[in-house]
Amino acid sequence: MKLISKPEKISKDHYLLKIQYQGSDPIPGQFVSIKVNEGTDPLLRRPFSIFDYSENELKIVFKVAGKATSILQNSALPENTDISGPYGKGFTPLENSKVLLIGGGVGNAPLHYLSNKLRKTGCNVTYIYGSRSAEYIYCRDDFHKCSDSTYYMTDDGTDGEKGFVSEKLSQLIKKEFFDFAYICGPSPMMKLCADILKAQNINGEVSLENYFGCGIGICSGCTVKTVNGNRRACIDGPVFNINEILL
Amino acid sequence: MKKEIKIGKLKLKNPVSLASGTCAYGEELNGIYDLSSLGCIFTKGLSLNPRAGNEGNRIVETDSGILNSIGLENVGLESFIKNKIPYLTENSITYVPNAAGHSIEDNIEICERLSEIDSVRAVELNVSCPNVKAGGMAFGQNVKVLEKFLKQLRPRMSASLIVKLSPNVTDITEFAKCAEACGADAVSAVNTLQGMRIDIKTGKPYFNNTFAGLSGPAIKPVALRLVYQIYQSVKIPVIGLGGIKDTGDAIEFMMAGASAVQIGTMNLVYPETGRIISEGIDSYMKENKIEDINDIIGLTHRLKGEL
Repeated sequence: MKLISKPEKISKDHYLLKIQYQGSDPIPGQFVSIKVNEGTDPLLRRPFSIFDYSENELKIVFKVAGKATSILQNSALPENTDISGPYGKGFTPLENSKVLLIGGGVGNAPLHYLSNKLRKTGCNVTYIYGSRSAEYIYCRDDFHKCSDSTYYMTDDGTDGEKGFVSEKLSQLIKKEFFDFAYICGPSPMMKLCADILKAQNINGEVSLENYFGCGIGICSGCTVKTVNGNRRACIDGPVFNINEILL
Repeated sequence: MKKEIKIGKLKLKNPVSLASGTCAYGEELNGIYDLSSLGCIFTKGLSLNPRAGNEGNRIVETDSGILNSIGLENVGLESFIKNKIPYLTENSITYVPNAAGHSIEDNIEICERLSEIDSVRAVELNVSCPNVKAGGMAFGQNVKVLEKFLKQLRPRMSASLIVKLSPNVTDITEFAKCAEACGADAVSAVNTLQGMRIDIKTGKPYFNNTFAGLSGPAIKPVALRLVYQIYQSVKIPVIGLGGIKDTGDAIEFMMAGASAVQIGTMNLVYPETGRIISEGIDSYMKENKIEDINDIIGLTHRLKGEL
């Protein structure tokens, strides 16, 4: 795998990268692992979930948050970037169902690819897009295209409604029936949403955004607790059922 | 070219191995490259019963290194024997289990049981894990405690004994000498250096255990020096580890006195590091017309005085 474009700014702090990839279709929720530099600082690889995929071109969205993502943002020689994957267990694909997708910040990225797939298998998709503020919202048109109805929630009310995605979730499930929900975002947000869904007996999955050591299951650095004991987020996840994971 | 290394009953086809805790039980990495091509792998530290490991943050990057506080999460002795050893033997992977029990009694039972297994030629004893409250480094930071422990343990195990030393002591050679005197067949040096990180938003330690183990290229010069000093103080083989990232680093450790090397943190970054270094040592020997790997081991000591 190799980068085929320089990072393209898509909103405040968020960038899109295109990667050449040959292999079987990645499953939504899977991630690629990138070593952004050749040296030892930063040392570890970084996981990035898949935003979109078609015809040997894979797209990821990343948020500049530290040393590694700053290097990625400014990468002068993107063709030398070391990329491996896709890794991990992705979302469960459903057919002909009414589904709810809930994303927070950069966590919206894997749900975009998932949403595209779900629409192709006859699902009706309701999307709740959460963001700190309007300036951070990326690829608005793309999210519109791959959902039947879209709601924006911002912390400061600069786009859509002011409030948390969990508030919109509570409103929606009071008046509509959903077969399944998919969530990706910060842990507190996912816990809140999962608790609301479980109380209404709606099944669903979350994709964790844990800190990974290796991303391939050898270091036990990303261990999470589930009702069935410890699991490695990188290899047994990052997607887990809301009734299995202990958030 | 002669590259075989013998450590007690353990025969390695070449001096490159993978460090405990950075290759799990071999299953994942063997899907990436053939682990039977390596000298051996040191599997994840074992306790008598399964351990869930530490709560909270477990790993974080530092400048050219990582701090970890995994806390010896492992499947436990029984599951290792039943579920992990068959995979290793079926795939012809030479492995050395790592014993990391809670107490002296637990470790004796682990080493005794493992010694009964044909494919276990040696056991590495972890007396240097900085991330568990009981056992671990508590055994490896006091020479008298280590001596008492090894004297009880050694007669009870038939497999060769490799003692993995802690760098978190004033004089590591005291511990190496103690291991040798108590009948250890080799020492591995070094485990992680104790370190810490503080979250400046809260002022609290990043890890629940406050301290964690530092590994990776950041610690290499320190580890290399310790291996050099141990080689001068004992006759048993030293297995060197600590931040080895490429062939050059591995050769340096061997010149300092390591009979074999372990690749640790770099497995997380480039999973094929072990294979690359193993092939790199071949090329180095060819390029430098070295027929016997023993000519490299401890070379720097033999050249002392030649400036």
